Amino acid sequence: MKPRPIGQARRRGSAWRRAAVLFWLPAAIVFWPPGASPALADQELVLTIKDHRFQPPEVRAKAGEPIILNVTNADPTPEEFESGALNREQVIRPGHTVSIHLPALKPGSYEFYGEFNPKTATGRLTVE
Amino acid sequence: MLATFVITWRETIEAALIIGILLAYLRKIGHHQEFRYIFGGAAAAVVASALFAGASSLASRLVDWIGEALFDSLILLAAVAVLTYMVVWMHHNAREIKGELLSKADQALARHQLWALGTLAFVGVFREGVETVLFLWGLMLQAGPVANVTLQVAGGLGGIALGIVMAWLFFKGFGHLDLKPFFKVTGVLLLFIAAGMLSSAVGRLISGGWLPPLIEPLWDTSWLLNERSLVGSLVAGLFGYRSHPSLLELLVYVGYFPLVLFWLRKEHHDLAQ
Repeated sequence: MKPRPIGQARRRGSAWRRAAVLFWLPAAIVFWPPGASPALADQELVLTIKDHRFQPPEVRAKAGEPIILNVTNADPTPEEFESGALNREQVIRPGHTVSIHLPALKPGSYEFYGEFNPKTATGRLTVE
Repeated sequence: MLATFVITWRETIEAALIIGILLAYLRKIGHHQEFRYIFGGAAAAVVASALFAGASSLASRLVDWIGEALFDSLILLAAVAVLTYMVVWMHHNAREIKGELLSKADQALARHQLWALGTLAFVGVFREGVETVLFLWGLMLQAGPVANVTLQVAGGLGGIALGIVMAWLFFKGFGHLDLKPFFKVTGVLLLFIAAGMLSSAVGRLISGGWLPPLIEPLWDTSWLLNERSLVGSLVAGLFGYRSHPSLLELLVYVGYFPLVLFWLRKEHHDLAQ
């Protein structure tokens, strides 16, 4: 930083700079991917989209352990896996499989649906 | 038919808002002859969307290779970068414009600035473009009575048409604002859109397992506003609202603003020197 002449006030912009650094620097240090949550043994569940339906329509998982949902689109048309409760949305092209990572969840019932075919593609993840 | 109409309309709204703002901005600074950069960017995005949505093009194989989640987040990050640059640059220009009169008759727009406008139009449309093309393609491929399929496709195309109309409405509406309010309003809107895109990018990376959510869900506000409702989906799409956000998404959303405001202040200071 270039030296300031005596008497010149410090510009307001540096307050924002401090805010930005105070926020992002610790964030970067703490949450940098290699240091972030290690991959525990995740539960892997399999879902298939066929005839615009999820099969099976209900999948189960244990509470307290991270989950990976492997969703395969076996239809000839694309679908979008979407869930407000799980905070996930992902387009899946025909024939492709997508792995959706979920954190450890509390017991309960989490609904999901296919946004392109919401009337038929509905499902639920039950965590217990 | 209504269902498909609403789906595509929602996907075009954000692009409509961005394009409307860009066109209004060009007109405000007396550069309406450069509309073609905006239209060109949007048209290129439509073509690119079709390519990336296609089954076997090189483009779609690229998506397969890096993964859908990572690809989505890269598009979003590119959009955030261009949007942020745009907000800072518009703010910079606003300070040069004295009152209602342009201090220079025709502010020369540098080549790279025109390309930035075109790029912003491109990412604005491309962001949802691939998804919209995929959705329409799925509609056209489905089995069933021809009348049904046609109605659904027509609904889908109608949603896009309404989106285009809305871009024009935004252009007209923002155009009526005086200069200072115009820059304030559009600046704030673009910042919130960018913050939403940034946290969405982070959301995709969380979904793909690249980033930890930290705490998820942080809260549940679906009783207040549900993403499946019309208003909810608009707010979600435009500004990144989530009823069950993760802590990381929220931190990124909130953290975006001090960064941009710092950059804006720096530009302001440099101008004053």
